[in-house]
Amino acid sequence: MTTELTVNGNLRRVHNPPMTPLARVLREDLHLTGTKLACGEGFCGSCTVFVDGDAKASCLIALGTVAGSSVRTVESMASPRGPLAPVQQAMKDMDAVQCGMCFPGVLASLTALLDEVSHPDRQQVEGALVGNICRCTGYERIVQAVLGIDRTANPADQTGAGA
Amino acid sequence: MTRHASTVTPDLHVPQTVQEAVELLADGAFEVLAGGTWVMRGGIRGEGYADGYVLISKLPDLTRLGWSDQSLVIGAAVTHAQLATFLTGHTRLTGLATAAAKSANPAIRRAATVGGNLSTVDFPAADLVPALLALDAQVSILDVDGERVLDLVDYLASRTTLSPRTLLTHVTVTVPPGFTAQERLTMRSAGDYPVGIVSTNVRIGADGLVEDATIAVGSVEPVARLWPSLASALIGHPLDSAFAMRMAHDLKGEFNARDGIEAAGWYRLQVLPELVARTFRTLEREADLR
Amino acid sequence: MSDSIGKNHPRRDAEDKLRGRTMFTVDTDTGLMLHAALRRSEVPSGRIVSMNLEPARQMPGVRAVVSAPDAPGMYGVMVADHPLFAVDEIRYYGEPLAAVAAETIEQAQAAAEAIEVIIEERPPLLTMAEALAHGAPELHPDWRDYELLAGEGARKGNVSWESTVVRGDVDGAFARDDVTIVETLFRSGRQNQTPLEPRAVIAHVERDRVVITTSTQFPWSVKSGVARMLGIQPADVRVLVPAVGGGFGMKWEMSLEPFAALLARDSGQPVKLVNSRQEEMQTALCRENAEIRIRSAVTASGEIVGREGFVLLDCGAYSGEQPFLASMVTHTLFGSYKLGSARLVSQAIYTNTPPNGAFRACCGTYCVAALERHTDEICAQLDFDRYEFRRQNVLGDGDLGPTGDVFEGDVLGPMLEEMVALRERSTRHQPANDRLLYGTSTTVGTWFILVGPSAATVNLNPDGTATLVTAGVEIGSGSTMQAIPQIVADVLQIPISDVTVREADTDAGGYDGGVGGGRTTVSLGAAGSRAAAEVKRKMLEVAADMLEAAPGDLKLEDGNVVVDGIPSLSVTIKEVAAHAQSNGGPISGSGSFTGTGNVGMVGCAAGHYIGALDLPVFAVHECDVAVDRDTGHVTVLDYRVVQDVGRAINPRAILGQVQGGVIQGLGYALHEEVTFDHLGKSHQQGFETYRVPLAGDAVPVQLEVYEGAPSMGPLGVKGAGEVPILNVAAAVSCAVADAIGRTVSEIPLTPPRVLGLILERDGADVELPHVATVWRDAVVADAQQLLAVAPR
Repeated sequence: MTTELTVNGNLRRVHNPPMTPLARVLREDLHLTGTKLACGEGFCGSCTVFVDGDAKASCLIALGTVAGSSVRTVESMASPRGPLAPVQQAMKDMDAVQCGMCFPGVLASLTALLDEVSHPDRQQVEGALVGNICRCTGYERIVQAVLGIDRTANPADQTGAGA
Repeated sequence: MTRHASTVTPDLHVPQTVQEAVELLADGAFEVLAGGTWVMRGGIRGEGYADGYVLISKLPDLTRLGWSDQSLVIGAAVTHAQLATFLTGHTRLTGLATAAAKSANPAIRRAATVGGNLSTVDFPAADLVPALLALDAQVSILDVDGERVLDLVDYLASRTTLSPRTLLTHVTVTVPPGFTAQERLTMRSAGDYPVGIVSTNVRIGADGLVEDATIAVGSVEPVARLWPSLASALIGHPLDSAFAMRMAHDLKGEFNARDGIEAAGWYRLQVLPELVARTFRTLEREADLR
Repeated sequence: MSDSIGKNHPRRDAEDKLRGRTMFTVDTDTGLMLHAALRRSEVPSGRIVSMNLEPARQMPGVRAVVSAPDAPGMYGVMVADHPLFAVDEIRYYGEPLAAVAAETIEQAQAAAEAIEVIIEERPPLLTMAEALAHGAPELHPDWRDYELLAGEGARKGNVSWESTVVRGDVDGAFARDDVTIVETLFRSGRQNQTPLEPRAVIAHVERDRVVITTSTQFPWSVKSGVARMLGIQPADVRVLVPAVGGGFGMKWEMSLEPFAALLARDSGQPVKLVNSRQEEMQTALCRENAEIRIRSAVTASGEIVGREGFVLLDCGAYSGEQPFLASMVTHTLFGSYKLGSARLVSQAIYTNTPPNGAFRACCGTYCVAALERHTDEICAQLDFDRYEFRRQNVLGDGDLGPTGDVFEGDVLGPMLEEMVALRERSTRHQPANDRLLYGTSTTVGTWFILVGPSAATVNLNPDGTATLVTAGVEIGSGSTMQAIPQIVADVLQIPISDVTVREADTDAGGYDGGVGGGRTTVSLGAAGSRAAAEVKRKMLEVAADMLEAAPGDLKLEDGNVVVDGIPSLSVTIKEVAAHAQSNGGPISGSGSFTGTGNVGMVGCAAGHYIGALDLPVFAVHECDVAVDRDTGHVTVLDYRVVQDVGRAINPRAILGQVQGGVIQGLGYALHEEVTFDHLGKSHQQGFETYRVPLAGDAVPVQLEVYEGAPSMGPLGVKGAGEVPILNVAAAVSCAVADAIGRTVSEIPLTPPRVLGLILERDGADVELPHVATVWRDAVVADAQQLLAVAPR
């Protein structure tokens, strides 16, 4: 069975069974391994991607349900040779990254938050990360990085993967 | 129904109308797929898969969310996130709004549907169920023989015997005249399934006394249920969290609390009065504001 | 001047990780790759009556099926008691029985499922109490015949290893009429590391050698371990390690690598094997659960004249790390304080549960928790101030450690004083309402740096940059990608960005004792520093030739070699490197390092892999908590740390490690515990019920780094990544006990457990009847002999 979907702006055709988790299709068929698949149950958040503008756990999305949809992954948050998206840059500047496995999902959740709330407070940032497990950092740097993003600089550039 | 191991790949059917969906479900071989947050874990959890699934999440009839007369109609395929956003500012539905906004985590709330939350039999900690019970919600179900409307209480009681050929299409809620509140107790600050949920709906008379009350409890027993004896005990008394807590303490023995990995039954019972009290503290604040 | 040291340099690997470009082992795809699955036992104990692999071989896509006869040897850390596949005996739920490689993972799983196994089940021994019960069967009836791989310790029946300490006259101390005897029990749960990247490996065969790409912390151990299990020379195994998606100790020991290697050898194709999250939940090499009885004889003036301890460590079905850790009980449970006399027995116990392993600060976490709860109970019973008692009794310069080793430098005392200063300048939060009980704690802890062999090579490239080649792995802590190149850049006086770091490859980097035990910055740092020093020496010689000066008159400065005192006479390092190309050849240097092997006082310790600490590390933690009396929830209001880092190479990176380690410790102290059903199957099959801290559970940690303690590390450095978790369970347990006014003897302090204590429910108090009370009866070694050789 062939499914067509748009991934990071490109039309892709994949041939997996319709109940295949989107996360596996992204990783194994489209080689977009920035998206991780660390629990498969929607608890860890490492597979979070944007589907038609909503940040969702791609391990729980059946491929057949996203036919015709637009999917955006961490690989499209910044152009390959261009600057990082502000939320990525904030993580880098804050030295937030350790092992790095959680960040693709963390960035998706935070981008969704920043799309909704331009100046989130601490509680909102923590709330946005309820579904993202980070085992390394103890979260504080990630939270601080978001709180410190200068949203006044160039509002047009503020959203990353938000479709 | 036949269940298959994770290595078998089921079919996915994508009907264009509700009628088509019901017809696909009619021979009993297929199951409903909406948000997918429960079904898609089936392989990992050893629950396996059905022969095929019928995708209902894109059917316009099931994604409606809006007012009809004095009632709120919530399509089965409406997500928790959509419901939470819609209810922002509707002060009389604070309990339901809280349930929709606090369940699971943001990514799950953007996928998991109202219908899925109500129809998943093996999920005692479903947040929307006590909220909707406290609002005396009605559910509409459809099969090839037509539509039926059930009180949510009756629907919950019949879920295990209800034919799998049935499709829950929407939920109807009448806006209560009083105030509602919901409390959930997780082991961490958030992110795990609550070990107890209390949803409270009270109407206060001009004399400041409770005229009517409906209280629902989730996650303590395998299926959420109403707590009519507590509701009766509170009628005629002032809105008082300390009093509600004492009454809840006296009456909690009516529950047959379940043991689970996250908490034993005794604990769920022990914290129940405190959860009741917390809903009343919220209601006290709401009442004070008016 | 180079600005390498003491500065907050950013990580070189951050941007790739943020862009989703970093390829972890689990992301790697070689093409034409087979996928493997393990058939695991679904009973905890039994005898394999028969196993038929043929059905699997007949399944579609299957290219190789292997089982016990394909890997006949045994492995282990101290005792070789662990077969790769169960041989006749099944000892835990999840134990591998066979492995299959097929074209797809679904085919491999289906084939593994198709293997026919007949098992005669036995009643399992799931707890240490059951394993030690009178008449309990032996999990390893052949234990006497097992090869010892390191050290020597008493063993008997289900006691896989015993470490003992005897120093001074303990009986005399306890018999004194001027002492109060205080006894404390402590029980700690099993903690799963849960790195987000599971254990994963790809193996293939190239020029008759096995090439392994794996997610490990210790490539050289994988190299020797795989060789051992495949019956080949270590030289015929090459191990490469890309970025590792978290380890925390679980990837210290070899695990999946030999299965993939066997399947690759049989099939002739690359084979990828990845544990599912459920497999990781069931078979992670967890921090072991433990049970402790500790008692002390203390005088009215607050002198600890005698201390006695009984410790059981659950090693699971195979001994693994626990025999090694039994000796670390000595340095943690009996560390930190001056003791007039000491007697300890710690035993690693076999049970029919998955084997345990190493987890960040290992047994230190619960030993420090038991010790500090004990210390607070001493203070409560003798009415001492909790801070002053510690200030009076912590080890200082010249004091004797637990095995009679002499400690160097006053460290813990000044650190306690630093903590007072930190507390006084910190904002402290108060409980939000009067239904919350408030408690606070001050705790000290001693851990160590697992110094040991490391090698490094530094090549000066023709363009004046340097390449650092080691077998050090970047597991996320930043030590390999951040700290070591900072040290090398400092020696060579070049920008850190001019130091390229070679990813770990045992064909390139010399032996290294693994990334763990806080050792990377010390051991690899020292090796890297020495390698860079050799490069520097050679550069100065070449530059001396170019500048017609004596090498002794030259110095390195900002990428130049300068004649000291004559700044105008200089050459750039790039010019030196280019000159060397045609004059003597390219410049490179090698360096190596290992520990000194401190053993303590003769006759004091038996069964100790580490008799005394080469390089101790100290920590002081304080915690303020609010406990909800209605639900038992513990909220950490504030958390303060003073940590001995020797010297801070990168202060911001250290704070990142401390924040992460403390929050991981909060998970351990409050929520995380692996428990088993009657089949030895973990109740926690995923992140639904295995509750690691989430963002809302974290608290910003206030850190004061303590510099200047003696260290053999380069520039006086000590590892900073392992220690942050050490005191957390202690700080939380003590603060909760303070808040609720009850004895706290168990972690994790989940809301139900805390509420049970508050309500004084039946069964809320810990009882450990199977943990001995009489030392002579408890030891499996010859007690009289131990006492006879001990120093009085």
